[in-house]
Amino acid sequence: MGPLSRETWAQRLAAFRASPSAFMAGPEGEDLGRDLLSELRSDKLSEQTKVSLLALSLEYPAQLWPDATAAEAAATSLLDTLVLLPPRPSALRRPLLLAATTALVAGDALGPTSEASRRLLPLLLGLASGRDLGRGFGPASEQRPLQATACECLRELESCKPGLLGGCLGLLRGLLGQEGPVQPLSLLLALALRNTLVIQARARARAGLQGLLMAGDTPSGGDPWNWALAEEGDARLQPQAPSWPAAEEECGLAVLEPTPEEARELRAAVAQLLDTSYLLTPVAQAQLLWLLGWALRGLRGQTPVLFKPQLVRLLGTAQLTLLHAVLALKAAFGEALFTAQDEALLLRRLTVAAQHPALPLPAHLFHLHCLLSFPENWPLGPTGEEAAPLLLGPRLCRGLLPSLLHDPMALLARLHLLCLLCAEDEEKEEKGQDWSPRHYLEELLAGLRQRAALDGGPRASATLCFQASYLVVQCLATQPTVLTPLTHGLARLYRARPVLAPHFVDLLDRVGPELGEPLRVALRQEVVSRPGRDEALRWHLQILAEVADGNAQSATLGFLGAAAAHCTDWGLQQALLRVCRALLRAGVGGGLADLLQALARQWEDPDGRDHARLYYILLAHLAGPKLGVALGPSPAAPALASSLVAENQGFAAVLMVQEAPAPIRLSVGPHRAAGPGPVLQLHVEVLEPAYSLELRFRVEGQVYAPLGAVHVPCLCPGRPCRPLLLPLQPRRPAPTRLDVRALYTTPTGLTCHAHLPPLPVNFADLFLPFPQAPEGDKLGFFEELWDSCLPKGAESRLWCPLGPQGLEALVSRHLEPFVVVAQPPTSYHIAIRLPPDSRLLLRLEAAQEDGVPVALRTDDWAVLPLAGDYLRGLSAAV
Amino acid sequence: MAQRAVWLISREPGTPFCSTVRFSRRYPTVEKRAKVFNGASYVPIPEDGPFLKALLFELRLLDDDEDFIESRDSCSHINKTSVYGLLIGGGELWPVVAFLKNNMIYACVPLVEQTLSPHPPLISISGISQGFELLFGVQDFLSLSQKNDTELNTKLNQLPDLLLQACPFGTLLDANLQNSLDSINFASVTHSQKQPAWKVGTYKGKPQVSISITEKVKSMQYDKQDIADTWQVVGTVTCKCDLEGIMPNVTISLSLPTNGSPLQDILVHPCVTSLDSAILTSSSIDAMDDSAFSGPYKFPLTPPLESFNLCYYTSQVPVPPILGFYQMKEEEIQVKITVNLKLHESVKNNFEFCEAHIPFYNRGPITHVEYKVSFGQLEVFREKSSLVWIIGQKFPKSMEINLSGTVTFGAKSHEKQSFDEICIGGTAYLKLHFRILDYTLTGCYADQHSVQVFASGKPKISTHRKLISSDYYIWNSKAPAPVTYGSLLLSESLCLLSESGKVRNKITSRPMRPSGNSR
Repeated sequence: MGPLSRETWAQRLAAFRASPSAFMAGPEGEDLGRDLLSELRSDKLSEQTKVSLLALSLEYPAQLWPDATAAEAAATSLLDTLVLLPPRPSALRRPLLLAATTALVAGDALGPTSEASRRLLPLLLGLASGRDLGRGFGPASEQRPLQATACECLRELESCKPGLLGGCLGLLRGLLGQEGPVQPLSLLLALALRNTLVIQARARARAGLQGLLMAGDTPSGGDPWNWALAEEGDARLQPQAPSWPAAEEECGLAVLEPTPEEARELRAAVAQLLDTSYLLTPVAQAQLLWLLGWALRGLRGQTPVLFKPQLVRLLGTAQLTLLHAVLALKAAFGEALFTAQDEALLLRRLTVAAQHPALPLPAHLFHLHCLLSFPENWPLGPTGEEAAPLLLGPRLCRGLLPSLLHDPMALLARLHLLCLLCAEDEEKEEKGQDWSPRHYLEELLAGLRQRAALDGGPRASATLCFQASYLVVQCLATQPTVLTPLTHGLARLYRARPVLAPHFVDLLDRVGPELGEPLRVALRQEVVSRPGRDEALRWHLQILAEVADGNAQSATLGFLGAAAAHCTDWGLQQALLRVCRALLRAGVGGGLADLLQALARQWEDPDGRDHARLYYILLAHLAGPKLGVALGPSPAAPALASSLVAENQGFAAVLMVQEAPAPIRLSVGPHRAAGPGPVLQLHVEVLEPAYSLELRFRVEGQVYAPLGAVHVPCLCPGRPCRPLLLPLQPRRPAPTRLDVRALYTTPTGLTCHAHLPPLPVNFADLFLPFPQAPEGDKLGFFEELWDSCLPKGAESRLWCPLGPQGLEALVSRHLEPFVVVAQPPTSYHIAIRLPPDSRLLLRLEAAQEDGVPVALRTDDWAVLPLAGDYLRGLSAAV
Repeated sequence: MAQRAVWLISREPGTPFCSTVRFSRRYPTVEKRAKVFNGASYVPIPEDGPFLKALLFELRLLDDDEDFIESRDSCSHINKTSVYGLLIGGGELWPVVAFLKNNMIYACVPLVEQTLSPHPPLISISGISQGFELLFGVQDFLSLSQKNDTELNTKLNQLPDLLLQACPFGTLLDANLQNSLDSINFASVTHSQKQPAWKVGTYKGKPQVSISITEKVKSMQYDKQDIADTWQVVGTVTCKCDLEGIMPNVTISLSLPTNGSPLQDILVHPCVTSLDSAILTSSSIDAMDDSAFSGPYKFPLTPPLESFNLCYYTSQVPVPPILGFYQMKEEEIQVKITVNLKLHESVKNNFEFCEAHIPFYNRGPITHVEYKVSFGQLEVFREKSSLVWIIGQKFPKSMEINLSGTVTFGAKSHEKQSFDEICIGGTAYLKLHFRILDYTLTGCYADQHSVQVFASGKPKISTHRKLISSDYYIWNSKAPAPVTYGSLLLSESLCLLSESGKVRNKITSRPMRPSGNSR
């Protein structure tokens, strides 16, 4: 893109500022950073336009040059532009220095390997030292401002890379003692000193503090940049500010013990800074005090008396920052710097500042905050909570009490103080002298309620009233003398302005039972004692839905019954139904059923009618606990789109059966060959408690008659359950698989449905013995059976391999119940009944070492292959 | 102690949200640190649009008051300082220092050098007070001798350059922006080593020192047996020292006549180099007695170039300058009013002006007035529903004046008549506006001999004094009126909005108590 005119740039900058992200996403976004750099060297643009370009780069470097490489290139280009400026006065030098610094820091390009950093740092240090850098750096008149700017740039670099200037402490001290600009050098030295001390304390190592402080104005050993120290500091940027006790522990600072010589040098350096501090602007003085307070805090043997001469001067001022800095010193050094009298004086000044008519409201509020967070020498209460300092008696507070004429924030802040006073005053309450704070508090709240009750008044005044009530309950929850009138007052406020119902509901949701309980009662009373037919009905219903419980049932139901006729639109009906829900959950019975039935008949809107009917059915059919869960907050909320249940998905979740991964494991136990028919023995294990478990089975291929369900009342993990018996009614003697589903209730009351892995029923599971053969003629019995199989049946011979245990073990393990005639260890006659009406007869004779020949007969052709598989599998099953 | 960003937002009807971002400045190097310090709780500075909307919502300046919105109206959402948390893009931007002053919202976000959850106490964050000071500085700069929109725009256009000077990297160097403006212009002046940062150049010319004392008197008068009237004097001493040399030393003393009221709650300018402990400790918190320090109040200082407020003070004078009562009774569409004002004999009876404004809130326009005044003239503002009694330059010899009359109102139309939350029904006030030149209520003065200048040449010293009324209210004694705690200390059986107002026989029989906060 060619050179742009001033106007074009102005438009472009305005478009960028309106929404940087939108601009960068647009067609011009990509080139902006590059154009900006090249335009800075253009002769066509005025300096003013160039300054505005640089101002943009100061604010949005990350957008213009998004990565380290681009930032490095930009910084290089900016430095080139600076060097190329003609040696006449120019408004560009300062912003160019600032822009190069910003680009390097914001682009993460600052570091020992960055070429631009290696150019910028010596340049800045040279400028800051007031060295003559040649004609490129402007006329003499510009040296002073440039020197200050260079200091600011160095300070910013040191802020972002703590420890970077650790090697320049001596140099900076020397400059400060000569003719350097006081403020920039003081702040830079204080910051570098603070960072060095903090990093050394953290690293628990000391690299000759004295040496650092003493070094002359040219740093010995070449490069003054302490990248190593900066790397240490870089690991975690050190908080500059919190010299606050609470923040101290987490910093894990070791106490640094300087040698006497070091301590002397350090003291001299700090004294030097403090002595000239009155030359700094008030805000800079405050920064200096914060920094030095933090620097000296961890040092053993460094008494903070150095600060003492400054304190009286500082306490007299009206400056927010200075008072705040004194408080920081107070927090840092406590009794070592402030005696009890000093503490009292500081508190008095703070009290004055918190109400002085000459100061603006935000300053009042901040001072009031400081008062309630005052760092006392000997705090009594728990740290971290706002409390009135011990020395702040009622007398000091008198001017800080709230009145209706205050701005809402001031009122709340002062109200908090008043509450704290009331809490302290509890014991002295009965004396009846003057106006007790509690009495005043009561009247103030009454005034707030009166204002909130104004018809058509702004919501802010209602909000204020409820915030004040909440604050009072937070502070004075244990004082019935406060809560009782508050409860009554709020109930009256509701009577006057039911439109505030959402505020009441919000308050009830947030306060504890101290106010919540009586207020619920009072509000219910307020609502049900009046006929519900006015325009406030929807508010009444909203309140009732919040406060309705098992108490005062008949009055509540009476009110609802009367109100039902006036609930003509859907919204009101739903509001009324919400109250019914609340009553259902509270376990209200009889009267409610009547009401619901009446609603289901009376209302015309189908949705309302259906709801009423649904609630009625629920009430009639669900037991209390289940009802509670059904109407309670949703435990799991699958998305369901039924309009009937849309208002509460949890409700649907409870009444519908949930599909769930099975927490149940089912296995088939050992075969029981007894009884009239085959029975499967099932073992159940659960991973979590399950109630009312119902197991449903389906037979694949319909080879058996349908199976009945099995019920278990309760199952708990780790508690053994007796085996479940599942009788089978085969239609054919065939193995199959059972499809199993479980239905159960979880401890949270949800009904769940789970699909379990299919259960195999083996051929052997169907085996039944024949009724006892007559004693003495077993062989005859067997032979009779054997013969009866033919001719309609089938006969086969096969080889049954034997394992190492031999035939005897095989029979006793698998076929014992069916043996009719046995001649161990070589010959067995076995008769098996296969329901419904088949038989399988085996002759195992003349066993050899690795197998036994089996002669088998059956009266059912279809059994033959099954029997073959079974026998061949026996040895493997051993 | 640095700021991450600064905004100025003007309230302008007719724009979206009735507000426009007039100025914003971000500090990316500070943002870099915020990201590290705040860790997981870091929320980036949003663009101007989303910030504006979130701030207006939090400050209740969007006109969507209709519905209860929990994130704003919940009783537990309590703000007790001008520091807010803004919900932006799913995160909470905190702390946002912001306040509205003269249709301009001033806002900034200080850097917090630790994690933000839970919020550390504000007192432990150095950037909070720095942020306030920055915003106050901008506010002072914009309001200084600003008369119209054009001037405001000029000043707004100067802001980017000024902040480049006063706050180049987000760490404030000087809250006095005028100073920064001068330093841009003073660039060619050579500096010597002890040049203070708050003084950008040196004065050349005739030495002169000007001191002016302005006292404002506030009052809340009830004319009730059971509520004490309150009043308070707040003084501001403004100086301009045109003296040669880099650091001229000056001592300014304020004196009181023998029967003067001691100065209390003295706050001084940072250029004051030392302070007597009696000045530091004299406070309105303590009960007044004869041992109270009554001056002279000496302030040794090295003055800045510009005009500055040397000190502020309060004082508890024994009587209010004008004591009065206001009785108003509602009778259907009209009200009957009676006003009595009495100037105290000790007060200089020579006003620049003196007026009593009698507004009638929450009523329709005035349709008819019948009245009788013992002195001065009455002006009727029908549409504004208010009366102004112009008393003029002097009270009559009796020092006491009366107004009585009947005011009839038309039907209330909601657009024109302003709503007032306090003046409901009979609750009403009249407000006095007056100014007396060359006079202070405390008697406080600074004369030529009270100024010591340790510099070459004898300066010309000029002094000025004036008394101005400010929030001087007289409440209708026939109805409840809002009171402060101070007003109640004398009695035990009152309520905040006192129902019983007894007519007193003599004005002096009223319980009276100076000090306290008033409207």
